[in-house]
Amino acid sequence: MEGGRSRVLCKFFMHGACLKGSDCQFSHNWSDNASQVCTFYQRGLCTYGAHCRYEHVRASRITKPAPPPVPVPRHLPAAIPPGSNVDSNSTAETAVKPSSIPLKDAWQQNSGQNLVNSVAGLSLGEAEAEEPEPISNDPSDRPICAFAQAGNCPHGESCRHIHGDLCPTCGKHCLHPHRPLERENHKLQCERNKKNLEALLKSQDIECSVCLERVHSKPTVSERKFGLMSGCDHPFCVGCIRGWRSGSHAPGMDINTVVRACPVCRVPTHYVVPSVVWYFTPEEKEDIVNGYKNKLSEIDCRHFDLGNGVCPFGTSCFYKHAFKDGTLEEVKLRHLGAADGSTFIVKNVRLSDFLKF
Amino acid sequence: MLDVSRVQKELVEIERDKKLSGVSVEISEGDLTRMRGTINGPGGTPYEGGIFIVDIQLPSAYPFEPPKMQFVTKVWHPNVSSQNGAICLDILKDQWSPALTLKTALLSLQALLSTPEPDDPQDAVVAQQYLRDYATFVGTARYWTETFAKRGSLGIQEKLAKLVEMGFSEDAAKVALESCGGDENAALEKLCSG
Repeated sequence: MEGGRSRVLCKFFMHGACLKGSDCQFSHNWSDNASQVCTFYQRGLCTYGAHCRYEHVRASRITKPAPPPVPVPRHLPAAIPPGSNVDSNSTAETAVKPSSIPLKDAWQQNSGQNLVNSVAGLSLGEAEAEEPEPISNDPSDRPICAFAQAGNCPHGESCRHIHGDLCPTCGKHCLHPHRPLERENHKLQCERNKKNLEALLKSQDIECSVCLERVHSKPTVSERKFGLMSGCDHPFCVGCIRGWRSGSHAPGMDINTVVRACPVCRVPTHYVVPSVVWYFTPEEKEDIVNGYKNKLSEIDCRHFDLGNGVCPFGTSCFYKHAFKDGTLEEVKLRHLGAADGSTFIVKNVRLSDFLKF
Repeated sequence: MLDVSRVQKELVEIERDKKLSGVSVEISEGDLTRMRGTINGPGGTPYEGGIFIVDIQLPSAYPFEPPKMQFVTKVWHPNVSSQNGAICLDILKDQWSPALTLKTALLSLQALLSTPEPDDPQDAVVAQQYLRDYATFVGTARYWTETFAKRGSLGIQEKLAKLVEMGFSEDAAKVALESCGGDENAALEKLCSG
């Protein structure tokens, strides 16, 4: 899975909002860098000029490190009318205002073949210039027609793009007939989406026993989450159940038998798992809980603080306990045998434990 | 912050089910934190036929904190103070849970009336009597129910007539009697205090 991925950091992931999850083509690994190259500049279209926050690198530098065969500034197209007062020797000048060039690329690509060659050759680099026509003979290289996918292609049989097969799950013509891998991926993704959607629909009517409202009827999206109890199957809003477990309590309330217990059945629960969907089988619950734990285990524990601090949850902590060099904390449990033959796990031993006041 | 929408939902549910459940709640003076609950005395007990009024105060952290409940109607019961109506019930204190509602709490009070817990008393005198002289306890409880918890239409009319005789207007006397659950003395006190 990792192999097919780009090494470029996904910019949606950077903002915590990538919807594609594990299917994203871009990297979800923080150690990869985000793409810093301005693709508009490469096409001669960047209107920000020197103020652009991305790097203005010519396309040829990326695709081909050797010096380009065509002399002089490559991003200056030949299409500039003769007698133009742009100084073609001043690269700095043109880099600042490339906006005088660009518009031509966009439409010229579709018109005259000569112009396409000249412009593409100059601004898109060698690879593109040698094969300017995007339509290839190999049907697996041809992209799927978006019109046909949506239901109706005006070009019909003469369409340049491939008309996809019908996906039985989503009902769109989006299965590429010549890309088996893509077909399978789409089917899997589609089925997963359908399952999620069904779970979401079924979760709509579930009520929280604390606020007595449907969890999904809450005003903000962040509130529309269930708090799954590890000990029982009673539904609550994550906000309500966390509010009860962490809020102030009447004097005399016992933490373990009252506060940490389910408000409905009073079965103690050690942790609450947030989830957007509710579960209907024990397997679904297990999936949600494991998914949550896996996600947390990728995040560094702030108590452990890369080995500088001490985590009060010790080996039971859901977060990652890794040192600065990336090695994980060794799990050491000290078992002590009691006089009656039972064993128990020793936590940190403090001197004060042996002192009697 | 008081969860207003939850309280409103609870009130709707109580209203819908009050004939069957035997408990009801009225809001006093449009303030959602102050209410007046009524419980029908459970059958087969000395409290049968009585209507008991409970003063309810909702703390701002409700439902994460229990509602404060106290009997307004005088009750002779080991777990209710005969002086001020304070209630000894675990779910109103350390066993409260946010899944409980005003309705379930009032139903628990109703259940408490039918099964007193003399070993964990609020009123030691009543509890002593309950344990040592059950017949007298039943007699006293029934007498208190008859005297304080019943507002038969005739009784109300008589009390009203009495108050009017004392020089209060009929309307004021009626309001005072109703707000005190038919307790003539309390109504008189209320009328005198303004």
